[in-house]
Amino acid sequence: MNELHTLHILNKTPDHPRFGECLGMLGPDDAIVLIENGVLGLAAAEGFHSARVYALRDDVAARGLSGSTQATSLVDYSEWVGLTLQAERVISW
Amino acid sequence: MAMLIIIDQPPYGGWTGREALDMAFSLAAFDQPVSLLFIGAGVNWLRTGQNTSGIEQKSVEKNLAAAPVFGIEDILADRISCERYGIAPPELADSVVLTDANAELLAQYSQAAFAG
Amino acid sequence: MVKSPSPERNNEGFLEDAWAWSRDTAEEIASEDGLELSENHWEIIMFLRDFYKEHEISPPSNRLFVKAVKDAMGEEKGNSIYLMQLFPGTPAKTACRIAGLPRPTNCL
Repeated sequence: MNELHTLHILNKTPDHPRFGECLGMLGPDDAIVLIENGVLGLAAAEGFHSARVYALRDDVAARGLSGSTQATSLVDYSEWVGLTLQAERVISW
Repeated sequence: MAMLIIIDQPPYGGWTGREALDMAFSLAAFDQPVSLLFIGAGVNWLRTGQNTSGIEQKSVEKNLAAAPVFGIEDILADRISCERYGIAPPELADSVVLTDANAELLAQYSQAAFAG
Repeated sequence: MVKSPSPERNNEGFLEDAWAWSRDTAEEIASEDGLELSENHWEIIMFLRDFYKEHEISPPSNRLFVKAVKDAMGEEKGNSIYLMQLFPGTPAKTACRIAGLPRPTNCL
């Protein structure tokens, strides 16, 4: 399993300033979990660079985005908790 | 006197959009001409295929489909915002009209108000 | 005949879960209002059930209840006098309660 330095939990829409701030701080060993309105980033063609991108399955389905999740791993709540335990540190945006 | 209610907040994250929809329905109940405009992240209200069973909220897609029944005049979506959020016309509900949200559009209404 | 227990209701008599509704539930709630359900009642009740399935909301007010019925069935049934006669009091509230829908948001 790859080392996971920082897990970024992002629940803001791409129009929120914190969305861009989060992307600007992504390191090479970081991963990002999109939850709530953060999953809209999947539709807005935002550049996540090389970071691993996860998205909460229920939030993706609620917004009708199940079809646009190419390079994204969909996770459920327990897998999300697993990621937070695996990460050295967590930032909630 | 026509009113335009503008929703620029995404669905499900908060209550402002639902309150705006409620207000639009109330105006329509008294036969006041009212239309809805979705811009920015608000266009995500209009994407088809929303399945909210996992988040225990009512589907705004289904709620919004009642708008024509209640007498809401137009449901407008800003073209550029739709492009930004990757919503192509086939993914929009049938009753939605693509438009350009600009001063010219707003000038057609005697009142315009942003939700929230 | 064994009757299943009545579904849970809130302090205003509306069902907590719209999907727990059955025709027995409707009869039971209607009888509390002193109403005996006729075919004309059932037509509106089933319309409301379909409306809720499609839109996940109750018609929010009396006026919008009338509009929705008119849109589906025409002026003869979609008028406030007809609906008031079938569902006395506040028609949207009475009808939604019997049909197992949530309380209309804009009815006092």
